[in-house]
Amino acid sequence: MTSTLKGITLKGSAELVAEFFSFGINSILYQRGIYPPETFTRITHYDMSLQLTTDPKLKNYLTNVVCQLKEWLFECTVQKFVLVITCLETNEVLERWQFDIECDKSAKETSAPREKSIKTIQDEIRSVIRQITATVTFLPLLETPCAFDLLVYTDKDLMVPDKWEESGPQIIDQSEEVRLRSFTTSIHKVNSMVAYKRTDSA
Amino acid sequence: MDLEDDTSVLTTLKSFNSFISRTEPPQRLSESSAGNGNLQSQYKRSMELFEAAERVHSKNRYLQLDGEKKQMELSHKRARFELEKAASDSARDFEHEVDRNQDLLGRIKKLEDRETDAAKKLSEQVEANRALRKNLEGLNRKLEERDTRLNTASQTIITLKDEIRELKQRIQNQDSTISSQTLENQEVQEQLDLQRRKYQEVSQLCQNLQAAQSSCSEHIIKIKELERRLTLQEQDIAIVKTVKSEVAKVPDLEKDVKRLREDNAFLRESRENCSLLKEEVEGLRRKLERMEKKKEELVNMELEKERLAEKLKAWENLGQSTGLNIRKPEDLSREVIQIQQREIALKEQNYTLNSRVRSAERLRSEFREESSQQRGKTLEEQKKREMQDSLVRRLQKRVLLLTKERDGMRAILESYDSELAPTEYSPQLSRRLREAEDVLQKTQNHNAEMEVQLTKAQDDTGTLKLQLQTLELESLKKHQASAADSNSSVTKEEVGILRQKIEDLESERQRLEEQNNILEMRLERHNLQGDYDPVKTQVLHFKMNPTTVAKQQRQQDVDALREEVTCLRDLVRSLQDGGAAAHSKADSSLHASGLGLSLPPSKEVLDLRKQMESSELRNQRLKEVFQRKIQEFRTVCYVLTGYQIDITTENQYRLASVYAEHMDDSLLFKKGSNGSMQLMETEFSKTLGEMVALHLHHQKSMPAFLSAVTLDLFSRQTTI
Repeated sequence: MTSTLKGITLKGSAELVAEFFSFGINSILYQRGIYPPETFTRITHYDMSLQLTTDPKLKNYLTNVVCQLKEWLFECTVQKFVLVITCLETNEVLERWQFDIECDKSAKETSAPREKSIKTIQDEIRSVIRQITATVTFLPLLETPCAFDLLVYTDKDLMVPDKWEESGPQIIDQSEEVRLRSFTTSIHKVNSMVAYKRTDSA
Repeated sequence: MDLEDDTSVLTTLKSFNSFISRTEPPQRLSESSAGNGNLQSQYKRSMELFEAAERVHSKNRYLQLDGEKKQMELSHKRARFELEKAASDSARDFEHEVDRNQDLLGRIKKLEDRETDAAKKLSEQVEANRALRKNLEGLNRKLEERDTRLNTASQTIITLKDEIRELKQRIQNQDSTISSQTLENQEVQEQLDLQRRKYQEVSQLCQNLQAAQSSCSEHIIKIKELERRLTLQEQDIAIVKTVKSEVAKVPDLEKDVKRLREDNAFLRESRENCSLLKEEVEGLRRKLERMEKKKEELVNMELEKERLAEKLKAWENLGQSTGLNIRKPEDLSREVIQIQQREIALKEQNYTLNSRVRSAERLRSEFREESSQQRGKTLEEQKKREMQDSLVRRLQKRVLLLTKERDGMRAILESYDSELAPTEYSPQLSRRLREAEDVLQKTQNHNAEMEVQLTKAQDDTGTLKLQLQTLELESLKKHQASAADSNSSVTKEEVGILRQKIEDLESERQRLEEQNNILEMRLERHNLQGDYDPVKTQVLHFKMNPTTVAKQQRQQDVDALREEVTCLRDLVRSLQDGGAAAHSKADSSLHASGLGLSLPPSKEVLDLRKQMESSELRNQRLKEVFQRKIQEFRTVCYVLTGYQIDITTENQYRLASVYAEHMDDSLLFKKGSNGSMQLMETEFSKTLGEMVALHLHHQKSMPAFLSAVTLDLFSRQTTI
C-alpha cells in the first residue's frame, strides 16, 4: 500500500483496484448465492461489513487470479475484467459482471504520485460495492446450480502465462444491461456494469 | 523242612552247628600232627575219631530222624485233619448233590409236563397251520381280487394325475393371483403407513388438544376479566341513562335540522340556477365576441375583394397591353411554366458554359503553370548559355595563352636546336612537341564541341520562347472566351446551386452524424455486452477456474452414472434371460416390480428398510407410551397431592393447588445445586408468611408446608 496519504502511485493504484476486485467478487458470489452463505465470514473493510469466503479452494483460486491481475494492472495491459455466471445444466451464461478498466499509460513513464487521497478512492469503491449489493433487488433469481468464471481482457501482445489460456467472451444471448457506478484512482478508472439474461416474463 | 516251624529242631540244629565248628580245628591239628607220628596210632586215632565222628553223626542222624518222625507225625496229623475236613466237605457236597438231584428230577418232571404241553401245542399248531393254509388260499384269492382292483386303481390314478396336472395349472394361476395379491398387499401396507402417519397426526392433534385445554384455562381468566368489564359496563349504563334524558331533546333539534336542510336544498338549487345562468351569459358573450370578429373579418374580406378586383383588372389590362392571352390564372401559370422551362433550358446552357469555363480555367491555370515552368527553363537555359559563353571566352583566352606558350616553346626549342647539337636531344624534343600538339588538338576539338553545344542551347531557348508565346496567346484567348461567357446572372445562379449543394451536404452530414451516433450507441451496447476487438484484445482466464472444475465434476458424475446404468441394464437383461428360472418363485414378485424399476432393490436394503421402519415404529410407540405414562403420572400426582407441578424453566418448579382461589396463585420452587429445594417469592407466597415461618423456618419440612397450604385453601373453599 502506498503510505502517503495525499498521493497515489501506479503500484498503489494497482493494489487498490485488485483489492476492490477481490472484495467485489466475494460480494457478488455471496449476494448471488453461487456458494452457500455459511462458507462466508463477515469482516469489516472500507468502513463497511463485507462477506469473505472461507472455502479453501475458492480462496486459492481468487488469490491466484487477483495476484496476476495486479501484475497486469501495474503493466497497464488489462482492459476489462469480467465475472461470468454460467448455468451448469444448460451451459448458458446467465450473468456477466463487467468491469471496464481504463489505464492511464502515462503513469508508467512518470513515477510522480497523483493528487488523490486513498480515503476518497475508498469512498468511491464503497459506493460501487453498495450498488453491487443493491442490484440483487432487480436481478432475476438464479434457480439452477451455477458456477462462475473470471475473464480478463488484455492487450493482444501480452504473453499468456502458465495456468492461463485464451477463452471466448462468454456473451449472453438477449441480455439486459445495467450500468453501475464507477470509480477512479486517477491512474485506473473502473466502470462497472452488469448484464443479465432477459427472462421471458420481463 | 522249615527251621522255624519247630523251636526244638531249631535249637538242636544250632547246637550241632556250633559243635561242628568247635570240633573242626582240633581235628585238623591232630591230623597234621598225626602225619608226622606213627601211622598206627594215627590210624587208631583216626578210627577212634572216625567212630566218634560216626557216633556223633549217627546221634545227629537220630536226632534228625527223630525230628523227621515228629515232623511226620505232625504232617500225618495235619493230613488226617485235612482228610477229615475233606470228608466233611465231600459229605456236604454229597448232600448238596442230592438236593440238586432232586431239583433236577423236579425239573425233568416239569419238562416232561412241558413236553406234553408242547405236543399238545404242536397238534394245535398243525391244526392252526391247516387253518392258515386255508386262510392263505383265501388271501391269494383276495390278492387276485386286489390285483384286479389295483389295475382299476392305476387307471383311476392316471385319471387323477390328469386331474393333478389341471390342479397344478390352477395352482400356478393362483400363484400369479397371489403375486398380484402381494402387490395389493404392498399397496395396502402403504395405505397402512399412510394411516399410521394420519394416526401420528391425530396424536399430534391430541397434544394440540391438551394445549387447547391449557389455553382454555387462560380463557377462563379472560372470562373473569370480562365480568369485571361487565360491571364497568353497568356503570356506563347509568351514565347512558343521564345521556338519554338529554337525547329526549333531540326530536326538537331534528325538526330544526330538517327545516334547515330544506332551506339548504332550496339555496343549493338557487345557486345551481345562478351558475347555469352565468354559464349561459358567458356563452352568449363568447358568441357576441365571435360575431364581432366575424363582422370585422367580413369588412376585411370586402376590402380584400375590392383589392383583388382591382388586381384582376390590372392583370387584364396587362394582358391586353402585353398582347399575351392572359385572362385567367391558368394562362398565367401556363405562361409561368413556359418561362420556367425556358429558364431551365437557359440554366442548362449556363451549366454547360460554366463547366466549359471551369475546364478552360483549369486549362489556363495548367498552361500558366506550364508557362512558368517554361519560363524557368528558359531562364536556366539562358544561364547555361551565359555560362557557356563565359566558358568559351575563357577557352579562347586559354587557346591564346597556349598558342603563345607554344610559340614561346617553339622559340625556346629553336634556340635550343641552334645552340645544341641536333642529334643529342632531337628525339626527346620532337616527342614533347608532338605531345604538346596533341594537347592542343584536343583543346581545339573540345572548343568546337562547346561551340556546337552553345548553338544548340540557343536554339532550344528560341523554340521554348516560341512555345511560351503561343501558350500565352492561347491562354489569353481562352481567358477572353471565358470572360465573354460569364456574366452576372450566371454567377448568381451558380451561387444558388452551390448553396443548395451546401445545404444538401449539410443535411447529409447531419444524417451521417446521426448514423454515427447510432453506430456508436450500438458499439457501446456491444461493449456492454462484452464484445471486443480481436485485433487488439485477447480474453484470458485461469485454466482451473470453478466453472471448468464444476463441469468436469459433472461430466465425471454423468459418466459414472452412465456406467452404472449400463451395468444395471446388463444385470436386468441377465435376470430377464436366465435369472427367471433360477429365481423362480422367490423373485417372481421382485422381478415383476423390478422390470418397472429396472433395479430390484437388494435384499439387504429391504431388510434394513424393514428394520428401520420397525425401529421407528418402536420409537413412536415408546414415545406414545411415555407420553401417556407421564400424563397419567401427572394427573395422579395432581389428584393425590392436590398440586399441579410444572417445570417453568430449568431447575424451577411451579406448584398450583387444586383449591387455589385464583388461577395465578402458585408456588415457585427452585432446586439448588445440592438438590435442596428453595421457595421463591410469588404474589401468593407473600400471603403465606405465617406458614412459611412455621413450617419452613422452624420445622424445615417442605411436605408439611405444602399440606398446610392445601388444608388452608381447602378450608377456605368449603367455608365459602
